[in-house]
Amino acid sequence: MNLQRKLQQLLSSLVQPLTAVLIGLLTGAVAISLVGASVLETYKVMWDGAFGNFYFVTATLARATPIIFIGLGLAIAFRAGVFNMGAEGQMVLGAVSAALAALYVPGPGIIKILSALAAGFLAGGLWSLLAGWMETRFKVQLLISTLLLNYVAVLFAGYLVSEPFQDKSGSAALAQTPMIDQMAWLPKLFQGMSVHMGFVIAIVLAIILFIILRFTSLGYEVRMLGYNPFFAEYGGINKIKVLLFSMFFSGGIAGLAGTVEVLGSQYRYVEGSLTVPGYAWTGLMAALLANSNPIGTAVAAILLAALQTGAMGMERNTEVPLEIASVIQGVLILFVTAKITINWWKVKKKAGDIHGAA
Amino acid sequence: MTYVLEMKEMTKKYGEFLANDRISIHLKKGEVLAIVGENGAGKTTLMRMLYGLEQPTSGEIILGGKNVKFSGPLDAIENGIGMVHQHFMLFSDFSVTENIVIGHEPKRNGFFNRKAAAEKVKELSEQYKINVNPLKKAGDCSIGEQQRIEILKVLYQGADIIILDEPTAVLTPIEVEELLKTIQFLADQGKSIILITHKLPEVMKVADQITVLRNGKVTGNVLKQNTDVEQLATMMVGRELQKLTDRIQVNGEPLLMVDNLSIGGKDEKPILDQLSLTVHRGEIVGIAGVSGNGQSELIQAISGLRKIDRGSVRLGETTLTGKSVATRRNAGLAHIPEDRYLWGAAKEATVEETGLMGYYRKKMFNQSSFILLSPFRKLVRGWIERFEIKTPSLDGKSGNLSGGNLQKLIVARELGFETDFLIAAEPTRGVDIGAMEYIHEAIIEKRNNGDGILLVSSELSEILALSDRIAVMYEGKIVDILDRKEATEERLSVLMAGGNENESSKKTTTTA
Amino acid sequence: MELLDLSFFTSAIRMISPILLAALGGALCARVGIFNVGLEGLILAGAFSAIVGNYFSGSVLVAVLVGALGSVLVSLLFGLAAIRFKANPIVAGIAINFLVLGLTTFGLRAIFDVKGAFYDKNMEGLPKVDIPVIEGIPVVGKLLSGHSPLVYVAFLAAILLYIFFYRTVTGFRVLAVGKNEAAARSLGLKVTFLQYGAIVACGILCGLAGAQLSLGQVTMFTEGMTAGRGFIALVAMMLGQSHPIGIVGSSLLFGLMDAMSIRLQGLSMPTQFTAMLPYIITIIAMFFLKDRGADSQLSGQQSSR
Repeated sequence: MNLQRKLQQLLSSLVQPLTAVLIGLLTGAVAISLVGASVLETYKVMWDGAFGNFYFVTATLARATPIIFIGLGLAIAFRAGVFNMGAEGQMVLGAVSAALAALYVPGPGIIKILSALAAGFLAGGLWSLLAGWMETRFKVQLLISTLLLNYVAVLFAGYLVSEPFQDKSGSAALAQTPMIDQMAWLPKLFQGMSVHMGFVIAIVLAIILFIILRFTSLGYEVRMLGYNPFFAEYGGINKIKVLLFSMFFSGGIAGLAGTVEVLGSQYRYVEGSLTVPGYAWTGLMAALLANSNPIGTAVAAILLAALQTGAMGMERNTEVPLEIASVIQGVLILFVTAKITINWWKVKKKAGDIHGAA
Repeated sequence: MTYVLEMKEMTKKYGEFLANDRISIHLKKGEVLAIVGENGAGKTTLMRMLYGLEQPTSGEIILGGKNVKFSGPLDAIENGIGMVHQHFMLFSDFSVTENIVIGHEPKRNGFFNRKAAAEKVKELSEQYKINVNPLKKAGDCSIGEQQRIEILKVLYQGADIIILDEPTAVLTPIEVEELLKTIQFLADQGKSIILITHKLPEVMKVADQITVLRNGKVTGNVLKQNTDVEQLATMMVGRELQKLTDRIQVNGEPLLMVDNLSIGGKDEKPILDQLSLTVHRGEIVGIAGVSGNGQSELIQAISGLRKIDRGSVRLGETTLTGKSVATRRNAGLAHIPEDRYLWGAAKEATVEETGLMGYYRKKMFNQSSFILLSPFRKLVRGWIERFEIKTPSLDGKSGNLSGGNLQKLIVARELGFETDFLIAAEPTRGVDIGAMEYIHEAIIEKRNNGDGILLVSSELSEILALSDRIAVMYEGKIVDILDRKEATEERLSVLMAGGNENESSKKTTTTA
Repeated sequence: MELLDLSFFTSAIRMISPILLAALGGALCARVGIFNVGLEGLILAGAFSAIVGNYFSGSVLVAVLVGALGSVLVSLLFGLAAIRFKANPIVAGIAINFLVLGLTTFGLRAIFDVKGAFYDKNMEGLPKVDIPVIEGIPVVGKLLSGHSPLVYVAFLAAILLYIFFYRTVTGFRVLAVGKNEAAARSLGLKVTFLQYGAIVACGILCGLAGAQLSLGQVTMFTEGMTAGRGFIALVAMMLGQSHPIGIVGSSLLFGLMDAMSIRLQGLSMPTQFTAMLPYIITIIAMFFLKDRGADSQLSGQQSSR
C-alpha cells in the first residue's frame, strides 16, 4: 500500500517533465520540417549520435560530466530557495584556479590533482559566497548580482590567460594557460574514449547530495529554508548561515565542473572552452527539469548532453543545423517551469479556499 | 411585500466539503439583515457567491424579482451590490479620493480628472454623513477611516445592497458605535444592509432580521424583537455555552520576565514602548488589544524573530536578549504562531516535515546529524491520535490539510516540546469548535502542570475564558493588567480603546 | 585624446537608448506586478528580427517594425507562461532568455546559413536625424542632434509613459494592479487584460531596443549580442523605482558607463577590465536600491499574508 503510493508519487512527479520533453521534441520536429528534412530520420540520426555505439555513449557521458556538476550545485541553491544564476562565472573561476594550481603547486600528481580540486572548489565557492553575502548583508538581489558577476568572472579569467598566465610556447598566441603536467591528469575510464574520472566523481557526488538533502538535519534545514524562510526562522534555523552555506557549496560544485573539465579533458584552461558549449545553462536546465532532486538532476544532465551530442551527430550527417538542440532546450525549460508552478499554485489556491471558508 | 434580494437554496461544495448547504436568505429595502455564525459556518462563502467571487454549486439569486447570475464582482457591482471586505481592499499609496473613484473615474478627454473626483467624494461624504479627508493618503488613515473609505466606495459605485463582512473585528469600541450609527443612517436612506458578524451584542443593536448559520446550514431566522443574545448563541453554537469554572490560583515563581522592552521610537512612534510583563509558573497571561497595537511585535521580540532596540527578556535564570531563536527554544520556549501559513508550516513540506521542525535537533531523533525518522513517526502518530488530526498520510503535503487540522498539528508540535513556557498566539483562529475545545483544554492542562503561558488573541471571549491575568495592550504599551476576577468585557473594551482605567472604573460604578 | 570630451557624451546618449527602452518596458511589467527577467531575450529577439526584416525588405522602417513584432511575439509567450499558466515569472523569464538565444542561433543557420554573426554590406542602418535649429547651436547641437531616430523615441517614450501613468485613467488602473492585485480584481478591473497590454508594450519597447542594437551603430547581428544589457536595464528599472523619469536618470548613468568602458579601451588598461566596468558599476548601483521589484528570498513572502 505504502509502496504503491510511493510508486504513484514517483510516476506523477515524472509526468510533467516528460510532457515538457515531448513538447520540446514536437517543437524540434516543427523546426526540422521548416528546414525541409524528415523528422523521424533526423531524430534517428540524433539518437545514433548520442547513443549509437560505445564511443558515442562515452562522448555523451563526457559532455554530461560538467553539466551534472553544475546541475548539482544549482540544485542545492534552488532547494534553499535562492536563484543562483552565477554558475557560469563560478565554473570559469574554478577552472582557471584549478589549472593554475595544477601548474604551479609542486609535488606528485595526486597532490597536484587534490590541490587543483580544492582550488577549483574554493574559487567557485567564494565567488558564489560573495553574492550570498551581498544578499544577506546588503539585500543586493542575488538573482541579478550573480548574473552580472558572470560577466566579471569570465572577463577576469580571460585577462589571466591572455596576460600574466598565457601560454607563450605555441606559435599562435591563444588565450590559454600552458598545458598541465600529464601526472596531474584525471585518468580516462576507457582507453581512447573521452569519458574520464570526473564522471564517476559526479555520480558519487549526486548520491551523496541526495542522502544529505534527504536524511540529514542539514538537508532538512536547507529544504525548509527553501519552502518557507519564515517557517525556518521560526523553528530556529539560522537562515543566513544556511543560505551562505548553500551558496558556498553551490558555487564550489560549479567550480568543480570547471576543474574536472580542465583536469580530465582540456588539460589547460582555454578561454571560451567552457562558456561556448553553454555548460552552465544546460546544468541549470537539468536542475529545473529534475525539480532539484540530485539523482534526477544527474539523469536530466545526461539526457540534455545526449541531445547536444546527438545534434552534433545530426549536423555531421544531415543538412539540419545543430542549433536545433538549443531550440528544443529552450522550449523544454519554458514548459517545465510552467509545471513547477502550476503544482505550487494549486496548493496555494486550495489553502486559500480553506482560508476563505474559515 | 417584495424583497430586493432573495437567495434560495444556495449550495457550495469544495470537493467533498459542503461549505454552504441549501442556505436561503431574503432582504427588504431599508432593512438590516445580520448573518451570524461562528468561524467556518459558511457566512463568507455565501457572501462571496452573492458578490460573484465564487460560483454556487446550486441555488439561485433573485435580485429585484429577476433571476441573476454573477460571473464576477463587476456584475455584482453593476447590479447595485457592494461589499466592504473584512480585509480592506485599499491602495495605501493612493489618495482617499483615488481609492473611492477607482473603476469609475471621472474623465476629461481620456485623462483622469482628479479635481472632479475629489469634489464628488466630498459631496458623497456630506450626503451620507461619512467623514473622510479626500486628499489624504489611504495608508495614512486610521483603520476606522479606511473602513469609511470602503463604505464610500460602494456608495460611489451606486450600491443599493451593501454587504459588510465582519466590519467590527478591527475597530475600537468607540469606532464600532460610530459604524453602527452609519449603518442605521444608511438603512434609513433606503439602502439595504447585510451585516456578517459573530458578535451578538452588535447584532441586537442594529439588525432588523437575523439569520443564523452553523456548519453551512441555516439554524434559525428571527426578527430582532423576538429574540435575545442567549437564544442566538444557542442557535450559533448548537448548545448552551459552557460556563467556566473558577480555578485554583497557583502562586508560581516568575518565569518569563520582560523588562522595558522597546522597538523603534527615536523619530517615529514606537512599536513597543518600554513594555514590562511577567508570566509566572502555573499561570496563563492573556494579552488583549485591538490588533495592530504591538502584540505581533511583542511575540516576535520574545521568541527572537525580531530585533529589539532596548530592554531585556529573561526566561527563568536564562537571559534571552539578543539570543538566536534556537537558543531561546532550547532554553524552554515553545511558540504557537499567530499565522500558521506564514510562520507555522511550509505548505509544500510533508506533514511529517512540518512536524519535525525543532525535533530534528533533539538527541532522540538525531544521530550524528542523520535524522532518525522511525521514532519520530511514532511521536507524530501519537499527536494525530490525541488531537484527531485528519490527514491521509504523513507524506501528504501540509498545505493540503484543512486549516483546523494544520493548526492542531502545530499546537501538538509545540506542546510536544514540553517546555516550561509557551507563547500561544491566536491558538484557535479559524478552527472548528471541536478543535477549539481540544486546544483550550490542552492549554489549561499545561498551565495546571505548572508551566507558564502567554496567550495572545483577538477574540476577547478566548482571553476571558483562559487567562488568569489579562494585560491590555494599546499603542505598544501595556496600559493595565487585570485579574481574572475583575476583568469584564466592558472594562477591557474601554482599556483596549486607549481609555483610562479610572474612567472605566467610574463607568462601571455608575452602571452598577 | 581627452577622456571626457564632447564625443564621449554623444556616444553616452547613443548607448542609453537600448537600456532606456528596455528598462521602460520592464517598468511597465513591474507596474502590473510582473517582474520581467526576460528583457535580455526580448531585446535579442528584437535585434534579430530587425536584421531579418532589413535583409528581406531592404527598408529600415520595415526592419524596425519587424523587430518590434518579433519581440512582441516572444513577449506574448512569456505572458502566456507567467499569466495564463501562472508560471513563476522569474523562471519563465530565464526560460525566455534561453529560448531566444537558441532561436536566434538556429535562425542564423536556418535563414542566413552562417554561424556566430551575420553581416551584409548592402543592409542599410538607421539614419541619423539632424534637428534643424538645435543642430546649429555649438555644443548642444553636437550633443543632441545627429542621433538615430530610436534615441529620440526612447526619450519620448519615457515622457509618454510618465503621462500615461500619472495623467490617464488607464495608467492609473495599471498602477493599481501592481500595487494591490487582489484589490484591483475585487473592483472588477480587467487585471489580466492590463497585464497582457503591459507585456505587449514591453515587447514593442524591447524590440526597438534590439533594433537600435543591430541597426544603430553597425548593421549586423551577433549571437548573444545583448551581452547582459537586458539585466543592466533591469537594474536601471529597479534603480529608477519603475518611475519613467527615474529610469531616464539611471539609464543615463549606465549609458555613461558603457561609453566610458569603450573610451578607456584607448588607454593602456587591459580590455577585459574596461569591459567589466558596466557590470561592476551596475552591481554597485544595486547597493543603493530601494524598490527591489521582486522581493529577495529573505525578505520575500511577507506579501503572502
